Amino acid sequence: MTFKLPAIDYLALAPMLVLFGAACAGVLVDALVPREWRYHVQVPLSLVALLASGGFVVALANRKEHVVTAGSAVVIDGPGLFLQGSIVVLGIVALFLVAERRLEPGGAFVAQAAVVAGSEADRKQMRKPGVTEVYPMMLFALAGMMLFCSANDLLTMFVALEVFSLPLYLLCALARRRRLLSQEAAVKYFLLGAFASAFFLYGVAMIYGYAGKVDFRGINEAVLGSSNSKTLLLIGLAMLAIGLLFKVAAVPFHVWTPDVYQGAPTPITAFMAACTKVAAFGGLLRVLYVAFERSSWDFRPTLGVIAAATMIVGAVLAVTQTDIKRLLAYSSVANAGYLLTGTLSMNRDGLKYTMFYLVAYGFTVLAAFAIVMLVRDSDGEATHLARWAGLGRRSPVFASLFTFLMLAFAGIPLTSGFTAKFGVFAAAVGGNMTWLVIIGVLSSMILAFPYLRVVVLMWLSVPGDDTPTVSVPGAFTAAALFVGVAMTLVLGVAPNQALELVNDAGAFLR
Amino acid sequence: MSKFPFLTLLVTLPLLGALILAFFPRSAGELAKRFALVWTLVVFALTVGAWLAFKAGGDRFQLKDDYPWIPQWGVRFTFEVDGIALVMVALIGLLVPLIVVASWKTVEALDGNRSVPAYFALLLALQGMMIGVFAASDVLLFYVFFEAMLVPMYFLIGSYGSHQRRQYAAVKFFLYSLVGGLFMLAAVIGLWVLGGNTFDWHTLVEAEFTTWAERWMFLGFFVAFAIKAPFFPFHTWLPDAGSAAPAPAAALLVAVMDKVGTFGILRYCLSLFPNASKYFAPLAIALALVGIIYGALLAVGQNDLKRLVSYTSIAHFGFIGIGIFAFTTQAGSGAVLYMLNHGLATGLLFLVVGFLVARRGSASIKDFGGAGKLVPWLSGVFFIAGMASLALPGTSPFVSEFLVLLGVFAVNKTVAVIATLGIVLAAAYVLWMYQRTMQGTLNPALNEVPAMKKDLSVRELAVVAPLIGLILFLGFYPKPVLDVINPAVQATFTQDLGVSDPAPKSEAKK
Amino acid sequence: MSTVLALAGEVTTGEAATFYILAPIALIGAIGMVWARNAVHSALFLVLTMLSLGVFYILQAGPFIGMVQIIVYTGAIMMLFLFVLMLIGRDASDSLIETLRGQRTVALLLGIGFAGLLCTGLGRAVGSMTSVGLDEANAAGNTQGIARDLFTKYVFAFEVTSALLITAAVGAMLLAHVEKVKAEKVTQLEMMRARFAPGNYPAPKPGPGVFAATNSVAAPGLLPDRTVAGRSLSALVPTRELTEAEAAPKGTEK
Repeated sequence: MTFKLPAIDYLALAPMLVLFGAACAGVLVDALVPREWRYHVQVPLSLVALLASGGFVVALANRKEHVVTAGSAVVIDGPGLFLQGSIVVLGIVALFLVAERRLEPGGAFVAQAAVVAGSEADRKQMRKPGVTEVYPMMLFALAGMMLFCSANDLLTMFVALEVFSLPLYLLCALARRRRLLSQEAAVKYFLLGAFASAFFLYGVAMIYGYAGKVDFRGINEAVLGSSNSKTLLLIGLAMLAIGLLFKVAAVPFHVWTPDVYQGAPTPITAFMAACTKVAAFGGLLRVLYVAFERSSWDFRPTLGVIAAATMIVGAVLAVTQTDIKRLLAYSSVANAGYLLTGTLSMNRDGLKYTMFYLVAYGFTVLAAFAIVMLVRDSDGEATHLARWAGLGRRSPVFASLFTFLMLAFAGIPLTSGFTAKFGVFAAAVGGNMTWLVIIGVLSSMILAFPYLRVVVLMWLSVPGDDTPTVSVPGAFTAAALFVGVAMTLVLGVAPNQALELVNDAGAFLR
Repeated sequence: MSKFPFLTLLVTLPLLGALILAFFPRSAGELAKRFALVWTLVVFALTVGAWLAFKAGGDRFQLKDDYPWIPQWGVRFTFEVDGIALVMVALIGLLVPLIVVASWKTVEALDGNRSVPAYFALLLALQGMMIGVFAASDVLLFYVFFEAMLVPMYFLIGSYGSHQRRQYAAVKFFLYSLVGGLFMLAAVIGLWVLGGNTFDWHTLVEAEFTTWAERWMFLGFFVAFAIKAPFFPFHTWLPDAGSAAPAPAAALLVAVMDKVGTFGILRYCLSLFPNASKYFAPLAIALALVGIIYGALLAVGQNDLKRLVSYTSIAHFGFIGIGIFAFTTQAGSGAVLYMLNHGLATGLLFLVVGFLVARRGSASIKDFGGAGKLVPWLSGVFFIAGMASLALPGTSPFVSEFLVLLGVFAVNKTVAVIATLGIVLAAAYVLWMYQRTMQGTLNPALNEVPAMKKDLSVRELAVVAPLIGLILFLGFYPKPVLDVINPAVQATFTQDLGVSDPAPKSEAKK
Repeated sequence: MSTVLALAGEVTTGEAATFYILAPIALIGAIGMVWARNAVHSALFLVLTMLSLGVFYILQAGPFIGMVQIIVYTGAIMMLFLFVLMLIGRDASDSLIETLRGQRTVALLLGIGFAGLLCTGLGRAVGSMTSVGLDEANAAGNTQGIARDLFTKYVFAFEVTSALLITAAVGAMLLAHVEKVKAEKVTQLEMMRARFAPGNYPAPKPGPGVFAATNSVAAPGLLPDRTVAGRSLSALVPTRELTEAEAAPKGTEK
């Protein structure tokens, strides 16, 4: 038997291939380069790879030719490229946070994760430089995310899901301080993630049973034409949705979020909050808009209820938090709700403004976690909110920046939070989901309270003796912080360019 | 554009000044004060220029400046003023320099080492945003200023408040306003989607909506404005904020910022949603009436001077409310004139109360008593402010109150009669307040406070003199202001709302 | 071979019989895997399930996947798993404390409900279905068919899986491997030298002593002058000073 390899458009795959290649090279670097050199090789390597990948994305965007390649497994279209580009850009900023070693000797990652936490050996490795496998892991995750946004069939999508999840599970376990929390977070994330993957896979099987195909175009045709029982389609779609909603942290699949956000090393938390969100919503958008658009009457009410629950539960639970990382975790849950609102508009505006929201939120959340990294005392990061009291008097500059970011989260005009919210809400009104918009507005009111509480704590309280100091950021964190805050401002004041970009991205290629 | 861009400069100059002040070092307090004074005087000069450039009998909207902002959403920087807005802009231009002078020693008097330049920066930022609110004729631009205005006021109350409960008051103020703002956001989004993806006020006025859409959107705007104004059930933040804020900021809050609410009702609720306005008018009038009586009754019972003045404002806003919703030109003009006069009178009252509180170190009425013997001049000014507040003939509020009652009487006698009750109560609370603080036997405790023996200084005299002059002048000769107001009110009621004034004769026949 | 075992759309008696025998066994294996307290038992139950599944695959005319299931999963992975369990020692003392009360009951009820929902749904949906496409898929032979799919349609997914394997390998190293630095290995000679080096006390550490009221290692040893012997204090066990009442004679030494 003979068969021909399918035509592969290597340029179209280049953004991902570069990252996969660099990640493999990174693994080799860890194996071959002397320990003290690894960090100095890995960081430039990762950075160059990400820049090259971004360059390819730009080149592809300029080519303006949308292709389905690698045997219809990968589709390179406008929205896909936009999402890939945002993953790369947010990934670069997250890489800055990961590469930071000035705040703490050796960086935020443990030197040897296998050493028993709290043991003598663990105390000895406290000041040793952190593991450098972090960088290839991160590149693998980023490549997986990019593939997830541009997969054209459910099987490729599943592989991509695993490719970006597995490194994240690992990265969560590598915190230098509070290692038991970190390991617990990793185990939780891994177990629940495995369940979610299983649901996803089961859903794929059901869909295959219904449509006889796993590629999105085939499913789309089958939704109209298949003679099989629709129950299969609905079960499959539900299972698929569970898998995806787990990744976007929608209620009731959100329970891992606070623990994992709190336990993971803060740079990784930032990375997850920004990039995973883009990837997960990229995948969800493609699945819903390309494959299942015609059954939107079936899933919109259900997913609408989930979106509403996500917004409300996220907002209400954020009010009760006393730890800044958990607070941001619940805020990320609520934001998933707003993103779902945009997604469920099921019109062109919905696609556009959901993508815009993803980028806007990504930059803001990266900057917020950058500041969380800076506020520290002798025990590492001081994340308990009570410790933040009076921070405004101690270091007005960083407190001002954080206040600005909080206002952005609350959706005050002239920040990206406002333009983003406006976009998704307008899309939802246009898509006849006004009731979701009303719930969104109500939950924004609730959500404003915790943000405001942080601001009140920072500015209106008198600093105590144990108010931590804000460390002087190293060049990397400073760069991440600057980019995050600047983009929050720019996307809030003059979002023209970004809106033009999402507009040009057009619709998904079917 | 060959014209001089008055409005653009009026909005940007204060913001620029705020930015410059933000970079002043903490130690440069004296310099910051002088800078703020000169800067606000320049702004005042510009306001005078704008007033002169506005042709009283000309087009409804004048001094238009128009720049593109976000073309994808149809948002533009459009500034233009009608007579109503011009009067409010002029009020801001006049009041802010006076408030800067009045604040000369406010910050130093507070405990804790608080930054003087930051205070004036916040004041200037507030000025720019308030002018922006009145000058914007793009709905989104209006909303942006409406929300952003909260932030400097929040910090003025929270950081520079004198009261123990300043944090509570600041948060309450912010949350109330934000909640209102979010209701408005929902309505703004609805307006954008249903009005054809534009924010241009002139286009939207022409747009037609279905009955229910119009009613819901009206409510969204109305709630926001009713909270801002504040009308009866939404008022509880004002006494807290008013008593906690530093007196000059409180004067600005009550005299100008709250007018945004009534201005918004006139410009947006009435013009954009004429049918819904007519539908909800009885409700609004009822709320306003309750506000008049309720505010007055509570004012009688207050023991705190600042809270008392805040409650009188609630009563006055009730008058403005019935003036607007009576839908006659006379009452409307009266209401707008009332907005100006209330700004002058209550601004003056708050400033004088501020002088008293600064001397005594307490705002409680019990701590005064017979103070008129110690500070005769101050007591005299206090008396004039009080008389203006109860609308004594000869002071300017009398003209406006009279116009409102006259206009209301023409359409609804019951309402007018009940409202008149408010005048009686006003006499009660003002006179009783004056009696308890200034007259009678001297409170012996006052003798032990050395500051209480200092009468009005030149600086304080310079603050109150222009206000008293204007109150008396407009009390005898309101024509120049009425000439500016009347066409705008007429246009609002006849063009946008489509009602005509009832002819007195036909009324008599019925 | 495939066409012999399963004709499209028809179920032969043999196939049905095998299914009805093996399906309960597979289920028992799955439930037993979760239920068993002993890790080795769990693993063996899993082997049972996987073997049954392997047979199902073969029944369904997928001989390749069936054999792979048996060789790779059951043969390689599970056996490796068992080896590891045996090597590191099995510990059956899992903590079974519920942190949320009633959690297990609720989970069980929800699980059963979910399974019921799924089964009824699937039962209705699959009942009316006719299976198609088996002959085409196996036209050139089952293994060849899989190869064709792997190297044409899903070649990219297939290649990307390598990233997954690399990640898994690196992850295992990261989480399980402790590097031994050469300098840290101490030879017997060095230990001896260190023991008799000046400043070290080579003899055994003093015990609680003749007058001790307890023989706990937590109680510090006393010197003849009743002061605490510093050497008897352990760096790991927190010192426990006895109260007067505890140190008093218990009335047993008359």
